Amino acid sequence: MTHGELGLQIIIFCLGFFYAIVYYIAVPGIVNLQAVSDQLLAYITAVLTAAFAIGVINLTRVHWINIKRKRATWRYSVILLLCLYSMLVVSVIASPFALDPNSVVIPASVIAFSTPIYNFLYYKILVNINSSIFSLLAFFIASAAYRAFKVRSLESTILLVAGLLVILGQAPISDLIWPGFSVIRDWILAFPNTAGQRGILIGAALGIVVFSVRRLIRYPW
Amino acid sequence: MRVEILATSLKSDPRLVYVILLLVITVPLLTHASVPVPITPTTLTLYQFIQNLPRNSLVVESFDYATSVVPELHPQAIIVTQHLFLRPLKILFVALDNNGPTLAEAVLDTVNKGNKTYGVDYANLGYIPNTATLIGMPSNIPQFLPLDTHGNPTATLPIIKEFPAIKLASLVITFDDDSSAAYSYIQYWEGQYKIPVAVGTTATLAPGFMPLYSSGQVVGVLFSVRAAAEYSTLVYQQYDCCLALSGASSTMVALSASNLLIVVMVVFANVAYFIGRRTSRGSNRT
Repeated sequence: MTHGELGLQIIIFCLGFFYAIVYYIAVPGIVNLQAVSDQLLAYITAVLTAAFAIGVINLTRVHWINIKRKRATWRYSVILLLCLYSMLVVSVIASPFALDPNSVVIPASVIAFSTPIYNFLYYKILVNINSSIFSLLAFFIASAAYRAFKVRSLESTILLVAGLLVILGQAPISDLIWPGFSVIRDWILAFPNTAGQRGILIGAALGIVVFSVRRLIRYPW
Repeated sequence: MRVEILATSLKSDPRLVYVILLLVITVPLLTHASVPVPITPTTLTLYQFIQNLPRNSLVVESFDYATSVVPELHPQAIIVTQHLFLRPLKILFVALDNNGPTLAEAVLDTVNKGNKTYGVDYANLGYIPNTATLIGMPSNIPQFLPLDTHGNPTATLPIIKEFPAIKLASLVITFDDDSSAAYSYIQYWEGQYKIPVAVGTTATLAPGFMPLYSSGQVVGVLFSVRAAAEYSTLVYQQYDCCLALSGASSTMVALSASNLLIVVMVVFANVAYFIGRRTSRGSNRT
């Protein structure tokens, strides 16, 4: 480990330890630790916001080189950069992320012109494209359920029966067929599902604690 | 034997399955068929929790979903927001997803805000960019979110003067498409400041919140678009309005039909599987 790495590691350890203390222990004293913690967190916000800008610069560089060198997928790079910057421009003028919503620098007429463009791009294109792609999942689920849900063993039979009962219970019309479907669905979700999920949750939480401690003390050395 | 042939052809070419599913979904939507929606306990508890909140309680609504799940979560957000506006409550809108502020504006454009005034009764604080901000907000809102989405300094808003810190909130509701936002709120707001958390999420993720619901860490779980329909029914029963506002109720027949289709197809596939296995055993013996 170089001196630079060691210094960095000491800073990481001290800050991590400091936040753990502030989170778990209220320390009354001359220095308001909570206020110090809040101020440091505000700095983190500034640093992370700068990271977004680096992301945009990096994306632009990669795709600009693609276009310049006419690589195989350069046409997609053109589309990506066009979409990125057109959305970026209208978003900073007319969106909840607008830089100047009160029209101090940007003229009100420009904001009024950009607002319907932003609304069209966002609500009519982005929302619909993304929703459509996500909706394809229904078709894959239907096809996959048909192919994979087979009674091959005791475990798969239990899974199949439980799955079908939850699917049936989730359908509002099932109560008209037999009200018991809802009761069974609620029971499966409240007991067997909860028990399994708790095991996963506790396992994951312990894993996170172990990973965090290892990161703080930089183990293995 | 015919069953077996049909099952094999469906397995090798699923296009027929796709066509049937498409019909099963679109026909009920186009005919505006409706079906009564039974109320599930996870939806009812959230409705009752909001209904029992004292006057002028602060509720935080967090829009933590991307545009891909708008059909599933937007109806929930619309009807829950409408319910909040029907009650004498103060509402702050935030988002842990960068799509959230825009979707929150869309919801605000849809609901009837009654006589509530922006800045006094509700405000859209916009995007919470990172965990650091989330951790800091319970002790000081203006320091971490200095401007709202309209460019107003949050410190000057009457609602923020009344509630300068999130720790004064009585409820936070997250509409979450990947569990991370809900877990963040549970970890940083519910764990440390005991702010009750409710979750509206997709049907695939909702069962994952049941342990937290059982333990009382989550006061309500909304399951997909069905919960939006249930919530619409509850609001309609109480306030005689808004049944069709979110559009969720009109999708219930399509949802039922598609669920039943999947059940029928799984049963059919298993029947074909057993017939096929029996036939192959018989031919092996001979």
